[in-house]
Amino acid sequence: MAERGRGWARAVRGLLLDVSGVLYDSGADGGVPIAGSVEAVRRIKASGLKLQLCTNETQATRESFVRKLRALGFDIAVAQVTAPAPAACHLLRERGLRPHLLVHDDLVPEFAEIDKTNPNCVVLGDAAENFTYANLNEAFRLLIGMEKPVLISLGKGRYYKETDGLKLDVGAYMKALEYACDIQAEVVGKPSKRFFESALAELGVPPEQAIMIGDDIVNDVGGAQQCGMRALQVRTGKFRFPAAALAEMVPARDVAVAGACAASCAAAVDQGVLPSVCGSPARLKRPSDENHPEVKPDAYVNNLAEAVDIILQEL
Amino acid sequence: MAARRALKAVLVDLNGTLHIEDSAVPGAQEALKRLRSAPLTVRFVTNTTKESKRDLLERLTQLGFDIAEHEIFTSLTAARNLLEQQQVRPLLLVDDKALPDFTGIGTDNPNAVVVGLAPEHFHYEMMNRAFRLILDGAPLIAIHKARYFKKKDGLCLGPGPFVTGLEYATDTKATVVGKPEKTFFLEALRGTGCAPEEAVMIGDDCRDDVGGAQQAGMRGILVRTGKYRPADEDKISPAPYLTCESFPEAVEHILKQML
Repeated sequence: MAERGRGWARAVRGLLLDVSGVLYDSGADGGVPIAGSVEAVRRIKASGLKLQLCTNETQATRESFVRKLRALGFDIAVAQVTAPAPAACHLLRERGLRPHLLVHDDLVPEFAEIDKTNPNCVVLGDAAENFTYANLNEAFRLLIGMEKPVLISLGKGRYYKETDGLKLDVGAYMKALEYACDIQAEVVGKPSKRFFESALAELGVPPEQAIMIGDDIVNDVGGAQQCGMRALQVRTGKFRFPAAALAEMVPARDVAVAGACAASCAAAVDQGVLPSVCGSPARLKRPSDENHPEVKPDAYVNNLAEAVDIILQEL
Repeated sequence: MAARRALKAVLVDLNGTLHIEDSAVPGAQEALKRLRSAPLTVRFVTNTTKESKRDLLERLTQLGFDIAEHEIFTSLTAARNLLEQQQVRPLLLVDDKALPDFTGIGTDNPNAVVVGLAPEHFHYEMMNRAFRLILDGAPLIAIHKARYFKKKDGLCLGPGPFVTGLEYATDTKATVVGKPEKTFFLEALRGTGCAPEEAVMIGDDCRDDVGGAQQAGMRGILVRTGKYRPADEDKISPAPYLTCESFPEAVEHILKQML
């Protein structure tokens, strides 16, 4: 149940949705929709609310990303996706930068029109298997050899959840190159203000009439609030449950027993966020996204479906 | 100035101080013999991520140095000691050549992560594995945090960037075990019965050898060999206790002035 009444749900004209962890959990197999999300997107569209997806996804072009979402049952058009690569292309053109790309193979076509000869900057995306020592070293050597190194990072997320577990996101590798070269990267993507502003422009709604819904407390929720939007934290995707909920599970030795615990905990076990056997005290040390020290969401909701329920009731 | 206690121990850096790559610093073997004739405990301390104590000993013996294995204390030894103290089972992201220094340490079902210099391990799968362990509470232990190192064909990423990436992703801080950490120098003295005030460190790296030792309460002597560059001695405050041409000159000073 969402906290603090429902004042946050009033006077809304448009929604910005994060994708991975809100609409679906990604994975090598293409991923799986999060329960209720396909129906929630359908209801948003039927309600007349404006809808824009705001993603830091950089493992595919927008076209193939949208194809994947449509195959999962989400009725989405390419123009409804704001993603870092097109924004980066805009920035590269604006500043006459020629990138060396350390990105996922499937993202490369986004940069087809960009001059990449004799590179004078490095563009870093979530390169996944392309994050090899050799590739990182190549990017490092280019940067350290530049008079004024320019590193452009497509997002700076710490990690995300795939169907087979948590994975390091581009931010970890961005920090590695920053440290190696003693530089600061420029981030294109959430939580950059400019990126949210371009998503709002595409949504066609001013910030005070828009709500962002995401699973990343810092990059989704914090970033959107910085732009004057309201923002909701979902308890799906990479959301980490509070220690109190975990503590209840300590005596549990198997999933069957865990199932008797609080509903949110049981759901977490199903999603693999919580271990089925949580006897390890180390688990309890993991910080939670509930009561984050810096970011206070306008509300917590269990999932997108619950958020949409409440927002539509307030229309 | 506070009265100094009598000198009881000398810590000596290896590469750049006793030898440079495969050649000994002129006069260093003889100087070491003279140092050993005094009533002093001698330890050899080095940041290494690749070479096991056995490899180091082999090289030093070939160069004509009279050194025993138990006298060598490396950043790998420091990591091993920490693993034993914390009774944890590491995922070892270290070069295969360093593995002999971890003989006998259990690595099944790991609950700690040790990062050395291991380009062959710094890939997506392994980094994700390390990340998940740390997020689940496994301590992150870094042999050191060097940004990069030089190879014949150019600069190469060191362990530092990978440690930093893991720190960021998990919102934790690594325990760095090598020089210039204070605990490294204190651990090197463990078992000698000497307090830091009774020890002197000789090395060619102003920050990591001299600065680190002095932070730990020792005196530090900087030698102008190895990686030394003019004006290095101005890089730290307080300044080195002494700067001299080479290891043999440092030994002369110790024997004449510090006993």
